[in-house]
Amino acid sequence: MREKKVVIEVGDGAAIPDPNDKGLFTAWRISFFGTLAIMAFLVINRPDPYLDILKYLPDGILITFKVTFASIALALVLGLIAGLGRISKNKFFNLAASTYIEVVRGIPLLVQLFYIYFALGHIVRVPDLVAAIIAMGFCYGAYMGEVFRAGINSIDDGQSEASLSLGFNRSQTMRYVILPQAWRTILPPVGNEFIALLKDTSLVSILAVSDILRRGREFASESFLYFETYTMIALVYLLITLILSKLLSNIENRLGHYERR
Amino acid sequence: MNAVNPIISIQNVNKFFGTFQALSDVSLTVEAGQKVVVIGPSGSGKSTLLRTINQLEEISSGAIVVDGRDLGDPKNDINRVREEVGMVFQNFNLFRHKTVLENLTLAPIKLKKEPKLQADKRAMELLDKVGLVDKAGSYPVQLSGGQEQRVAIARALAMNPKIMLFDEPTSALDPEMIGEVLEVMVTLAREGMTMVVVTHEMGFAREVADSVVFMDEGKIVEIAPPNQFFDHPQHERTQKFLEQIL
Repeated sequence: MREKKVVIEVGDGAAIPDPNDKGLFTAWRISFFGTLAIMAFLVINRPDPYLDILKYLPDGILITFKVTFASIALALVLGLIAGLGRISKNKFFNLAASTYIEVVRGIPLLVQLFYIYFALGHIVRVPDLVAAIIAMGFCYGAYMGEVFRAGINSIDDGQSEASLSLGFNRSQTMRYVILPQAWRTILPPVGNEFIALLKDTSLVSILAVSDILRRGREFASESFLYFETYTMIALVYLLITLILSKLLSNIENRLGHYERR
Repeated sequence: MNAVNPIISIQNVNKFFGTFQALSDVSLTVEAGQKVVVIGPSGSGKSTLLRTINQLEEISSGAIVVDGRDLGDPKNDINRVREEVGMVFQNFNLFRHKTVLENLTLAPIKLKKEPKLQADKRAMELLDKVGLVDKAGSYPVQLSGGQEQRVAIARALAMNPKIMLFDEPTSALDPEMIGEVLEVMVTLAREGMTMVVVTHEMGFAREVADSVVFMDEGKIVEIAPPNQFFDHPQHERTQKFLEQIL
């Protein structure tokens, strides 16, 4: 009654497990242990080529994580700015943020990657990895902007009125009262975006960045074992996203503490 | 208590929401230490009037001066005025991510730069005053409505305001919790706090008010001391309203 309950649904990440689901057989467990079992089976029964593929991937996994973490950090900063812009009373700031979101969301990620990569190349010479991170962060910042906006809007107006009535100005109100509460609404979709971004980083393999997928492609093109290589790559991605979704679920669970009676 | 200049002066204020006129040529003065109770049917503009005093609503025309500061003057920082004007809301609006104690100390620590120890001490005194010392570590969600509202009053008092505004403070409460909140408000009134209260609690108005303001359709219809107001209302609309509610 007193609080607007908004669940932000952004459905392009892996499903985050429900912490209240205590059943022995959950989709997450079946997927996780199934993935582990299949990987173990393949590696043990046919170390050549599966173990060789697996040994070839760690460098790529590291790069994938580097790109993911750096991109999400950039996307969170851009998203916060864009989200605040979208709710700002300042017409210029508002319009700039809205336009950024509109434009980015209207162009396919892969096209944006190419575009920013080559556009950057015209202006400054940056390493491929950095160009990829800027492109991914720029794109996901727009999606994140909408998440922040929705999260901030989900907080009851009474909260900011109470804060203003005590003498806080608008930015102090945002910092001390609104954002700390909005964070809980924002975290699940941000987690989703994080996982979605991790998967989308596979696109940067096209830009000469040696992530998991590119490492795999290199292995496959030398060994001609395309099926085996991509099987292993799919399993590795799946394992990573499953672990991440479990981690996020635990964090979400812990963050909800002051809502519990 | 004997201030010559009113602490709140509202002069010919109009307020429009789009084409709807919520306040129409409203003038009201409140002396320091005075308790003014505003009553009227819903939609009469009484909450809007209250919210213009700390500029949660900006007025369309007219003038409001609070403690010598003209709210229409851009040189006056509204946030400093708000520090001096505490407000209590119908829905409490406690900060849901903070404990009761933190609700009370947030503004003094961040805005007045009070040391935490001093702010905590003062907060505990205020919680003692509203009878909720044992709830200092609780979160708002763990409190009853009456307790939440008493915390909200204490939170407003933590800034040592000169004026307290109450916007229907008991309207969202279950009947058995109204008394505990009114009790705190009566104590506050006895201590000499300047109060402007929008309420439907006529008993409170009779007991505490220095003057009762009746509003209807955005206008102040009648202002009178409680005895005269309730026993000999002058205007027909006031009489009709009192017949309906008493």
